[in-house]
Formats: sequence, C-alpha cells, structure tokens
Amino acid sequence: MRRLYFSSTFLFWLLVTAFWAGSLWAPPPLEAGAVAAEKTYGAADLARHATPANCWMAIRGGVYDFSSYLPEHPSRPDVIEPWCGREATEAYNTKTKGRPHSPYADGLLDKYRIGKFAVDRP
Amino acid sequence: MSPIRLLSIPLFVLAATAGPVYWALPQGLGAARSLGIVSGWAGCGLLLASLALMLREPWLAHGLGGLERMYRWHHRTGIAAYVLLLVHPLLLAAESLPGNRQLAWQTLTPFGQDAAVWLGWLSLLLLMAGLALTFEKRLAYRLWRGLHVGLGIAVVLGFLHLLMLGIALPAWLALGLAVVFLGWRFVRDDFGLAAHPYVVDASSRVARDMVEVSLKPLAAPLDIVPGQFVLVAFLTGAGFRGCGEFHPYTVSGILDGGIIRLGIKALGDCTRRIQSVGPGVPVRIQGAFGDFLGEPAQHPQLWVAGGIGITPFLARLRERAPEQPTLLLYLYRTEQDAAFVDEIRAIAAGGGNLSVRCLATGEGIPDPDALLPDAATLAGRECYLCGPPAMVGGLTAALRRRGVTARHLHFENFEFR
Repeated sequence: MRRLYFSSTFLFWLLVTAFWAGSLWAPPPLEAGAVAAEKTYGAADLARHATPANCWMAIRGGVYDFSSYLPEHPSRPDVIEPWCGREATEAYNTKTKGRPHSPYADGLLDKYRIGKFAVDRP
Repeated sequence: MSPIRLLSIPLFVLAATAGPVYWALPQGLGAARSLGIVSGWAGCGLLLASLALMLREPWLAHGLGGLERMYRWHHRTGIAAYVLLLVHPLLLAAESLPGNRQLAWQTLTPFGQDAAVWLGWLSLLLLMAGLALTFEKRLAYRLWRGLHVGLGIAVVLGFLHLLMLGIALPAWLALGLAVVFLGWRFVRDDFGLAAHPYVVDASSRVARDMVEVSLKPLAAPLDIVPGQFVLVAFLTGAGFRGCGEFHPYTVSGILDGGIIRLGIKALGDCTRRIQSVGPGVPVRIQGAFGDFLGEPAQHPQLWVAGGIGITPFLARLRERAPEQPTLLLYLYRTEQDAAFVDEIRAIAAGGGNLSVRCLATGEGIPDPDALLPDAATLAGRECYLCGPPAMVGGLTAALRRRGVTARHLHFENFEFR
C-alpha cells in the first residue's frame, strides 16, 4: 500500500504539471475581427427558451444556450432554473453572498454563447 | 471463519461504494466528466467505509471477522479512496481536452475559483500529508496517532466541499455519518467511554524487560477466554504515571473473580513505563477481541510462540490441559528473555498431551527449517503461531512448504498502525 500511495501521488503531481504546461502552450484566442458576425436576440427571444430543457439566458450583453450545461451546474436546480429565459447578469454577478462567478466560469461561458443581447429589442 | 463473516466486510465496502455512485450516476455528460463524478462519489463511499472500520467495538469486531481484519480493511479502503479522489479532479479537467487546454487547467486549479473548490483541494492535500505520515513507522506512537487524526479532518473538509457545491442532501448525510463515526471513535474508544474500570492487583517480573500484571475488575468483569486480547490504558495513580493510551495485550491468564493477567514486554515508551507499575494503579480495558485458539481442538496441534507471543498459549495451558497431542515450540532471544519457561515445563512434566521445546535463538531471525518438525509429523496438525511479524511470516512460509494448507494455519499479529 505504501508503494501504491507514493506512485499514485507522484503520478498525480506529474499530471497536474502536464495540465499546467499544456495551458501555457494553448493556441492564442482568435482575433475579434475573425469572429463571424453574431446574431442579436431580444427579451422576447429569450422568453421562448425558459425551460430547463430549452434554457437561454442573457449575461453581460451575451446570449447563452445552457440547455446542455444545466445538468452539470454544481448548484441545486432551483437556484439556476428560474433564470432560464431571462436577463441573468445580476444573478451571475452575485452568486454567493454578493460574489461573482469565478474566472473559470467566465471562461466556460464562451462555450455556450450563441449571440448578442439587445436590451431595446422586444 | 464462517462465509458470512468472511464476506461481511467486502459486502459492506461494496454497498458503501455502490450506493453513492448509483445515486449520482451521471446521464448525458461526457465520458471523462462522468468518470470524474463517479470516482469522486466512490471515493466518498470508501472514506465512510474506512471510518466505520476503525470503530473498536467487540460485537462489531466479532461480526466482521476480528479487529485486526477490520484494521487491514480500514487501510485498504482508505488508500483506495485516496487514489479515486486523486483521479476525480484530473478527470473533470480532462473533459476539456484536447481542444481547450486552458479551460482544462482552469477546471483543475483552485486559483480563481470559489471556496468550494478550495475546500476540495485542502481536503485532498490534507489526505496526502496525513497518509504520508501514516506510512512513517519511525514516529513515536503518540505523535503518529495525533497526526493520523488529521485524516479525519480531511474527510470532514471533503464533505464540506460537496455541501458548498450545493449537493445538499447526500453531502449532509455523508457529513453526518463521518461526524458520528469520528465522534464514536474518539469518545467511546480513545477517550475510553466504552472501557471497563480495573485496578492493578499485582505485578511481577517474569523476564528481562517483561512483567506480568494482574488486573482486578472494579465493576462487571469482561467476558474473556484464553487466546483473546484486550486494549488496556494504564492511568495515573498510586505513585505511577501511566501514558493513558490504549495498547493491545493478549491475556496470559484468567482467574476467579474476573481477574485477568497480562504479560507486558517493554517494546516502546508506554510499555517501558509499565515495567514499574504497582498495585492500586487504575486501568481502563476494552474488549475482549479475537478468537485465536478459539476453535475446539479436534486434531493434533503445533503451537509456535516467539517471545511475548507465549501469552495466549500460557493462558490456554493455565486454564486446562490440551485435549489433543500438542507440541509447543517456544522461541526467545536469550535465556534472560525466557519468561514462564519453568511453569510451562512443569505443566508438560505433569503428563498429558503437551510436549515442549524451548529454544534461545539469538538476535537473528531463526532458520525455520532447523526448528520445525518434518512434513510427516505436521500432517493433519492445526498450526497456531504468535510472535513478531517477521518470525510469523518466515515460519508460515516454511510450514506452507511442508504441505500445511492455509486452512490449518492460524496466527494473529498486532500490527494496528
């Protein structure tokens, strides 16, 4: 068991180091100009996607389709599901005791972005 | 051992692992993330099983096949849980590979994440440090035990990590069970709430660095038979300052009135101090544990004792003569270490089924081939061994080479760390 402990611990730190090194050599993000023009959605568009199975939210000017992500969200369903179909920037910024989501969560957002949110559009 | 007792711990561990995994079985997620979730919950289940297996209750030990077996599984489940919990964050991060290496690293590192993730990392690092110290056998027992407690704190932090992630119901359940198991162990076992009060009645030197102590019950005596061991804490009183820790000792005699006798060799700080104990010192005892020599003797027997390992055989001989032809092979380093030899020879000289061979083996590990009877003499014998682990290991291997099957080999070593 002693050997299993030391070998697994060594392998763990080796892999952690590999994850870190891999992030340093990640390809640079695409230039803004290279991104295709985004679609624009309004509050009415959001409201049509207000169920856990079809869940869009607007956060910080972007529109996100969280339908596939919802089962992975670590909090209880009743915390996040009421925000489906709504502008949720305030909820996103004040997750726990007024604290915003982490930079990791910010990074995760990009994966689910489908367009821009137009406040003045119905 | 009966099949039920044999299967009891594996089935318990399987249920403790499969239960949470079944509850949390992911659906519709990626393979790496799903496996990461499964490894996390399996690790939690194994940690709870490991905590339950460190409880020292005679009824529980009897049902699960003995305290030594429980501790062996406590170690196995603990290390298995640790490996699964190491895999857990790596697999969660691997979900983003190979496409998004930055996101994979952000998933793994606690920097920039919330308190829940930091707690998970803190728990894992405490487990890592605690286990590293657990394997350090050169530490004094008292220090080692204090550091081992750190592992309990790591488990609690791990379940708090779940709670802060918002996984409320199972996290509360796991946290509650962990606190119950840890509290049970500290209050009933380590603090001594489950122990019986005794007092030292007499103490006499029986060999170099070895005394035999008689303990008289102050309340209801323990239910104990020869071959069993007890956990004893010598307290402070009557001019003696005990270390107060529970250590295992096999009884060397059971007298009328519930008095039990223990042979105690100076093997560490605590047992060295006990060499000077006198009448009137208060003692707390937990037990009794084990079933060594517990089966009715239906075949000729070979008993092999190494040093202090003579005590279970002595207790048995003091109670009654062997029912079957029995050869006692008693090994000790030098004649100065030969405790109880005169008494054992006197019992053998009184006629009956016992024959004795006492031998000073010197400092090295004795040559098994020179000590043991040949295969024809061993055929059909039940072999019981008690002594230092190295000696028991060497003699067990030699007996197997002489055709003795595992079913006919019985031994206990008190390797509780």
